[in-house]
Amino acid sequence: MSAEVLVIGGGPAGASAALHLARAGLHVTLCEQGPRLGGALHRQPDDPAQRIRVPRAQSQRWRALSTALEASSVQILCRHMFAGIEGGGTVLLEDRASGRLVTRRPAALVLALGAVERVTPLPGWQLPGVTTVGGLQVMMKSTGQAPDGDVLVAGSGPLLLALAAQMAALGKAPVAVLERSPKLVSPSVIASLITAPAYLREASHYLLALARAGALPQHGTWVRAISPRDGRLAVTIVDRHGRDRELVVDRVALHDGLLPNQNGTAAPSNGPFVVRAGDCREVLGGVAAMADGRHAAKAVLAHLGRSTEAEPSATRVLSRERRAQAAINALYDYSGADPAWLPDETVICRCEGRTLGQLRDLLASSDPVSAREIKLNGRFGMGACQGRFCAEWVAAFIAAQRDGEPPAVSEIIGSRWPVKPVPISAFVTLPPSRPSE
Amino acid sequence: MTRFHQTFSFDGTPVACTDNETIASALDRAGIRVLGPGQNDCAGRYFCGIGACQACVVSVDGTRMEACLTPARAGLFVQRIGSGAS
Repeated sequence: MSAEVLVIGGGPAGASAALHLARAGLHVTLCEQGPRLGGALHRQPDDPAQRIRVPRAQSQRWRALSTALEASSVQILCRHMFAGIEGGGTVLLEDRASGRLVTRRPAALVLALGAVERVTPLPGWQLPGVTTVGGLQVMMKSTGQAPDGDVLVAGSGPLLLALAAQMAALGKAPVAVLERSPKLVSPSVIASLITAPAYLREASHYLLALARAGALPQHGTWVRAISPRDGRLAVTIVDRHGRDRELVVDRVALHDGLLPNQNGTAAPSNGPFVVRAGDCREVLGGVAAMADGRHAAKAVLAHLGRSTEAEPSATRVLSRERRAQAAINALYDYSGADPAWLPDETVICRCEGRTLGQLRDLLASSDPVSAREIKLNGRFGMGACQGRFCAEWVAAFIAAQRDGEPPAVSEIIGSRWPVKPVPISAFVTLPPSRPSE
Repeated sequence: MTRFHQTFSFDGTPVACTDNETIASALDRAGIRVLGPGQNDCAGRYFCGIGACQACVVSVDGTRMEACLTPARAGLFVQRIGSGAS
C-alpha cells in the first residue's frame, strides 16, 4: 500500500484533487467537516425531492465528479474537522461523530478549505437575523425552501444576485436587493466575459427572474445601520442620492466579496508536503476549483516522485476563470462603509462584542500599540472565529487612526493550530487514535 | 418522504426536525433565532452557515458544536451555551 494522501474539504477542489490522486494509484482519504460532500457551492439538499434550481451546467459538473468519486478508491470521512498541523507535523482531525481526535501522518496534505465571506462592519451586523448572503443561500440549498419572513439582501457582489434570484424562483423574492456599486453591466465587461459565456447566461437568468418579481438590484444603495424593533430588524438604508430611508424586515443578508479561507493553515517545516487547491488558494469559483484540484493532484504526484502528465486544459481553465472573475469583480464595490463615520458602538469583534469605541480608545493611548497588544489586551481577533470576521477591519482601523502602515492581518490572526476551537474532551477523554497505516 | 416525525430538545423545548437537516435549520424553521446569550450583547446566532464564524455554537449532548454543521437527530439534547448546565 502506498503512503496516504489526505485531502481536506469535500467541495469541488477537494473532490477533484482526491479523485485524480486515487486514479494515479494513491491511497487517498477525503475529509469533510459537514455531513455531506459538495461544499457551499454544490450543497446537496436534505431531501433529494426538494432542491432549488441551480444552473444546469453547475449541477452536471458536480454530479459527474461525485459519481466518479463514489466509484473510486477514495475513502470519504464526513464530519471530520481539520484542526490543524501540530508542531511535530502531525495532522489533527476531530471526528465529530465519536468526539475523538484522529491523528494522521500523511505523505502529503491537500487543503481545499474554500472561501469565507467578507462582510464589512456596520452597526447591528451582529444581531440575530442578520446572516451572510452565502449563509442564507446554503440554508436554502439544504432545505429547498426560501427563508421565511421579509428578507433584505445588501452589500456587493454577484452572490447577492444569485441568492435573490433563487429566492424569487421559489416565489419569495427579497423585499429589496441593495447593491453598493453604482455600476451596471458595461459593454467592456461583456466583452471580457465572451470566453466565459456561462457567467453572462447565468447573470441574465438571474436578472430576468428578479425583473419578473419586481426585485431588481437597487444600485448605489447601502445599509447604514440595523437595529432590533419589536422582534424584527429596522434597517436604515442610504439611497444613491444620499438620502436615508427605513425598512423593517425579518432578515438581513450581507456580503462584500469572498476571501480565501487560510486561517491557521501555515505548514510547519517538519510537517507533510502541503498544497492548497481551489478558493482557499485563490478565489476563482467552482469551475476553476475543479481544475485547481487537478493541479494540486499533479503537484502531490510530482512531490512523491510519480510521473505526471502536463495539465494544459486545467491551466487554460484557470486563466480563463481568472480573467472572468477579474472582469466580474470590476463591477462591484467591496469597500464597505468608511470607518471614519462608523459610530463608537459599532461591534467589530462579533464573537465577544468588542466595539469600535474600545478599539479607538486603545489606539488613542500615547504609546504605539502593537497588533499583538490589540489582540491580547483589546481582545480583538481573540474570539472563537479566530479573527476571520474582524482582523481585516482591525488592521484597517489601526491604519486609519494612525495614518501609517496597517499591520499585516496575519499579525492579528497569528498562525497556529487548532484552526478552529476543538473541545478539550477530544484531547483528554481518550488517547488519540492512530489508525493503522 | 419522512418529515417532522422526530424532535430534539432545545433548552427543554421539543423542536421538530426532518431527516438529514442541521440543528441550525430546524431551529430556524421553529423561529428560534437566538442561539445563546453570547458575550457583550453579541447573542449566539446563525451567520455564515459554513462553520467559520462560530456564532452558532451550541451544546449538543454536552459538547460544543456548530449548529450549522451538526445533523439534527431525534433525542439530541441541545442547549444554549451559558444558559444553565452544559
